[in-house]
Amino acid sequence: MAKQLASAGLKVVGFERGPAPKLEDYAPRDSIRFLIRPEQLEWVRHEPTTTRNKTGDKSRLQYRTSPLNVLGGALLHWTGQSSRYMPGDFRLFTNEIESGNAERAGADLTGYDIVDWPLSYDDLEPYYERFEWEFGISGEAGANPFAGPRKRGFPLAPLRHSARMELFAEACRKLGYHPYETAAGILSRPYRPTEPFDSRIPERPACVYCGHCNFYGCHVHAKAATLYTTIPVALETGNFDLRTRSKVFRINTDGDERVKGVSYFDPEGQVRHLRARVVILSAFVFEHVRLLLLSKTGRGRFANGLANSSGYIGRNIMAHGDVRAMGAFDDYIINGFIGPGSAAMRIDDFNGNNFDHTGLGFIRGGTIGTSGDGTPVARFDVLPPDVRSWGKEFKDFYTRYYTRTMDLNMQPETLPHRDNRVDLDPHHRDRWGVPLPRVTFDFHQNERRLQKFLADVGERIMRATGASKVWTEEKGRPNRWAGGTRMGANPKNSVVNEFCQTHDVPNLFIVGSSVFPTMAGYPPTATVAALTYRTAEYILAQKQWFD
Amino acid sequence: MESFRELIVMDSINHRANVLTPDQSKMLAAIADRIFPRTETPGAVEIGAVQYIEAALAGDYAALAPLYRQGLRAIERCSKAKFRRAFCLLSEAQKDQVLVDFETGAVPGFKLAGDFFEILRCHVLEGVFCEPQYGGNRDMIGWRLVNFPGQQFGYADAYINKRVDLEPVSVNSPKPQGK
Repeated sequence: MAKQLASAGLKVVGFERGPAPKLEDYAPRDSIRFLIRPEQLEWVRHEPTTTRNKTGDKSRLQYRTSPLNVLGGALLHWTGQSSRYMPGDFRLFTNEIESGNAERAGADLTGYDIVDWPLSYDDLEPYYERFEWEFGISGEAGANPFAGPRKRGFPLAPLRHSARMELFAEACRKLGYHPYETAAGILSRPYRPTEPFDSRIPERPACVYCGHCNFYGCHVHAKAATLYTTIPVALETGNFDLRTRSKVFRINTDGDERVKGVSYFDPEGQVRHLRARVVILSAFVFEHVRLLLLSKTGRGRFANGLANSSGYIGRNIMAHGDVRAMGAFDDYIINGFIGPGSAAMRIDDFNGNNFDHTGLGFIRGGTIGTSGDGTPVARFDVLPPDVRSWGKEFKDFYTRYYTRTMDLNMQPETLPHRDNRVDLDPHHRDRWGVPLPRVTFDFHQNERRLQKFLADVGERIMRATGASKVWTEEKGRPNRWAGGTRMGANPKNSVVNEFCQTHDVPNLFIVGSSVFPTMAGYPPTATVAALTYRTAEYILAQKQWFD
Repeated sequence: MESFRELIVMDSINHRANVLTPDQSKMLAAIADRIFPRTETPGAVEIGAVQYIEAALAGDYAALAPLYRQGLRAIERCSKAKFRRAFCLLSEAQKDQVLVDFETGAVPGFKLAGDFFEILRCHVLEGVFCEPQYGGNRDMIGWRLVNFPGQQFGYADAYINKRVDLEPVSVNSPKPQGK
């Protein structure tokens, strides 16, 4: 966003509450630091959220690794799975409810709040393309029969195959499914974008397959991260004033119509104010909700929170409830520590609406793919249920099988539910004395049935790989957040329009997965990036604002 | 040039604050040896898990030091109640019985028994498999046992169904002192 706007000549000020990390801060291949003790990292530690399962429960402090408080944010540590959503993922109300699909499935959708997106796959397609070509996504066009149409292939061929990928692909073909290589935000070859894409982005080297990838920063910069791609280009324009260790705590309004800037704590903790013609939030799900609620005014249109005339701020948050199937092999060496995690094979035969749901008792699905990277300190809990987790029995298993296990990861779509929301915690505050965001979240009936179903499919595939021992983890754990400032055509039940512009305040924008009305069975990153490019274009088209 | 953070880690390893008494350290070693025992290959104690935990308790895990002291006292109490001997003097099977009581949370008067055991188990295994700069995984023995070649720069081969025959490496290892 900063790159697009600053390149067009607008003066952009960027706020980041955390530090600007140096290579040695974010990319040593150090699993204790990044996997075992991430909460010791300054940028994770200093602003937690609080969580609870339902209204009425007591909330507890939780440090999370996804919304990193550091320049470059979660793209520093993401796995790199760069999946476009499928065309049907944007039309859940039409395809699932109106069509009668939910009824045929026998799904119980009580409590859910299911809608269509106000835009379609075709609207986003050119922006997916821009993301893929500017950041360098490795993949193969046409390999996934369920993917939406694309005008241009990928800039880079898929990553090198691993043992996991070979075993999974063979098993899936045996079962009649359609395996393909995950599109990955990791360079399979050295890459620099060329025209018509942004050739100012510096050349980066190819992945070296070190395996210190998911949750780590990349030590060779093969991973697609804004920190060393678009941010330097934005700074180079001379129009981008980046203020790290500066935390915005309020968006200031100008009467009942517009916003006029922000108030923030500078690195010394002093309160400062900045005037701006446009304010764009890009601080992840929890912080978006928190800032909008904190910016309420004493009376008038914004008394319940900024841009909250619908009352939808904080509502319908979602997270995938990933489930896993594991396998251990007597006669095959996997060497799962060789990376990256996004060098993976997937199937979408059980994603979205790609399979017959009649009588299944739920709607939707999730992508299924290989995973299971990790150093020995990260894998000692990957044990069959009949193996004790300590003692000689553990030692015998782990020393034999550490190099001989693999996982399948299922990413079941979670539907927007009325009980899942973010608000301001009445009891916990951050170090500046500002209330923390409180996350109230649980999986409900559709998720639980879907998670079980996908775990069973995973088990079936794992058996077909020839694994000597197969086991599953059927209970989803929240992963990859979305929702809270929903996008929609109707200002009565959504916060922003299709250009991520708030319905109530024309010069206030929100970019990030918080605008997702529904979240599909894929990670949100590629869709967030595409929406961001599209929003930047829309803002630049409002020439009258910047005269 | 080590980063500031590494200097802190090194400092806590070199000048170990006495978070635990010598007796508690001895007990910790006896427990670590049941969690990842010496067999025909080295166990947690030789690999340095106790040093790892003590360094961590003097640094990043400082908040857990009171739980450790409380937990070790409870293990001692439990051993004496069950077998009338100090934990360190029990047979292997008896030690395991005491530890199973903690694992399953079946320890009267110590509600955190299950949590304590789980933390202890994880910390011992961290000490076996951590990057050596944290004080454990001595000579990368933990890595060698599971055939993990360490913090390689990368892998030129995908090693599909093939044993990795590389000598393990660690990066950021502390430089030898005083040389």
